[in-house]
Amino acid sequence: MSKIITSAIAALMAAGLAAPAAAESVMAEKGQSVDLTLLPKFLGILVFDQANEGAQEAHAELENPGELLFVGPTPENSVAGQIEIMTTSTTQGKDVVMLSNNAGDQIVPSATAAQAAGTKVVTWDSPIPSGDGESVFVAQVDFGSIGVVMADMAHSLLGGSGQMAVLSATPDAANQNAWIAAMEDALKGSKYADIELVDIVYGDDQSEVSYNRALALVDQYPDLGVIMAPTTVGIQAAAKAMQDEGLCDQVAVSGLGLPSEMVSYTLNGCAPEFALWDFRDLGYLTYYTSYLLATGAIKGEIGETFDAGRMGEYTIEKDPTRDSGLRVLMGPFTVYNKDNVEAAAN
Amino acid sequence: MAAAVLDRFSPQALRVLALFVVLVLIVLFFGSQIDNYYSARLFNRVSTSVAIMAILATGQALVVLTRNIDLSVGSIVGFTAFAVGDVLSTYPGLHPLLAVALAVAIGAGFGAFNGVLVAYARIPAIIVTLGTLALFRSLLVEYSDAKSIITANLPEWILQLPRANIVSFGDLDIRITFFAAVIVVITVHLALTWLRTGRKFYAVGSNPEAAVMAGINSTRIVFLAFVLCGAFAGLAGFFFLARFGNITVVAGLGFELKSVAAVVVGGINIFGGSGTVLGALLGAILVDLIDTSLVRWPLVSEFWREAVLGFLILGAVAIDAVLMRRLLALRHARMKDRRDKSVAQDGATA
Repeated sequence: MSKIITSAIAALMAAGLAAPAAAESVMAEKGQSVDLTLLPKFLGILVFDQANEGAQEAHAELENPGELLFVGPTPENSVAGQIEIMTTSTTQGKDVVMLSNNAGDQIVPSATAAQAAGTKVVTWDSPIPSGDGESVFVAQVDFGSIGVVMADMAHSLLGGSGQMAVLSATPDAANQNAWIAAMEDALKGSKYADIELVDIVYGDDQSEVSYNRALALVDQYPDLGVIMAPTTVGIQAAAKAMQDEGLCDQVAVSGLGLPSEMVSYTLNGCAPEFALWDFRDLGYLTYYTSYLLATGAIKGEIGETFDAGRMGEYTIEKDPTRDSGLRVLMGPFTVYNKDNVEAAAN
Repeated sequence: MAAAVLDRFSPQALRVLALFVVLVLIVLFFGSQIDNYYSARLFNRVSTSVAIMAILATGQALVVLTRNIDLSVGSIVGFTAFAVGDVLSTYPGLHPLLAVALAVAIGAGFGAFNGVLVAYARIPAIIVTLGTLALFRSLLVEYSDAKSIITANLPEWILQLPRANIVSFGDLDIRITFFAAVIVVITVHLALTWLRTGRKFYAVGSNPEAAVMAGINSTRIVFLAFVLCGAFAGLAGFFFLARFGNITVVAGLGFELKSVAAVVVGGINIFGGSGTVLGALLGAILVDLIDTSLVRWPLVSEFWREAVLGFLILGAVAIDAVLMRRLLALRHARMKDRRDKSVAQDGATA
């Protein structure tokens, strides 16, 4: 299975290399009026605010006289709130909604209605699983390669063999589910033959739930060596739980985290290694993609290449991690450990 | 023997006793299902985690006793945890007691807001607190400015607090937070039982008109209940901060329902006027125990856990109700018996 992924990545890279030669890279024409809504999973989480900073940067750079709104639901109302904001934005005649989807396919009817009314839906961070109602997905990193990186971190933390468990966000989170699936695929490779994935649990992206789930994992699996949490909330909560119960020397916490939030756990050995990408860049690239789509500079078709300001050239491709849907791949991401975490935290 | 128990204890005490039996039954059930269930570890897990909910349930109990409900406690916990965390990150030198006082004051402030609307403006509590549930949470989102509180910026003493023991028996720890929660519950229980003001909570809840006739200022009592509930939610927020350290805007989400569950399972009448905070403590322990055990029970998948928790809560309440009715019926029968006997004796002497 890992062979399939490797060959898929190779094919992608080939496509990525071939595309610019085939098509001229589209440049954005500054100063056109586009109204956009940036819709995160919910408000009050640092990474989404960082994405907004990136989008605002691009908004200023492109001298867009239109409006860029950052609106999101409150945390307890995430799914229903996202659908509502999607519908409201359509009624308001916004040109683009940039969505980090937390509603799974439940968002599809409102997204399809938005498209029918002329409002583009560009997803980022977390796509619409079926791809329906979505113009294009701006992927932070290749979902397949996240799986490989998580498998590799587990491999190095376990010293090649042992038990690991996953502490995810919500059961509906499309991005986490895709990464976990990719990691399970990667784990089938012979390098990881001695690593056993014993359980996948969900902490709902709440500190208290994640904390309790992490403790339940160590109680249930006495030989557990690694808790892999592909969510910035879960990884902190798990690290705190291990620290509080004095279990850091038995169970290492890893996954996706923010350096500024993880620095103390990385230095004290509770979370020796974790990874992440830059959310500011993700917001910036999402904005460029949306702007170009709304102004008609690109159509949202496979093989189109465009220029995204300071970040350079990107190509729209078929999303290999979903059955249907298009994607723009940002990449890469950084693995943090005690050597580089302090510099990144400041 | 059983008869003596029935005579000696009040209906309230019998209810606590019935709950205790349910608790034991649940422990036995999970003990048969989960390996290594009877361990000091389990006790530590439940006792540390129940400390927060026990304090919250105590506050909720005070409000429910007066025939009201407070659905905003989860948001108060979240806001307080965040605000105190923010202050401690900025001023790490702040005295621990001042930090606790700050938490209680913030919570009491929110509680007073609820209290004014319910007691003085006479808006139904469920509507007021449903509104403030969203309002306080939105305030938190606004206040947080998309930042979160992280352990790295908190002073060392608050990070040590959840691990600090009063006393240990082998692996079994009595941690400070649990101890503090139990002290709070007992204090409130004694106050409700022995203080004149305490009895007024029951009077207002069991019959508001009669309470007013009896010269009780029920407006003030209801207001007081909300202020105290807010203050306890603030204290719970402080313990929440100590335990979890990483506070985001979702902190305490859903705690209002858990606290209501603990109170109802704990035998406090949702229509006010009867129940004890000791019952609420047992209710909190029961809900937490079920929750803690379910995540360790391999038979139940992630997706069914909430449903099973719901069933078990309904079951616990049902068993409790049946046991209660049996016990009360027995008690009545015995009392009637004795009355008849004494009437007969009176008749004989006359």
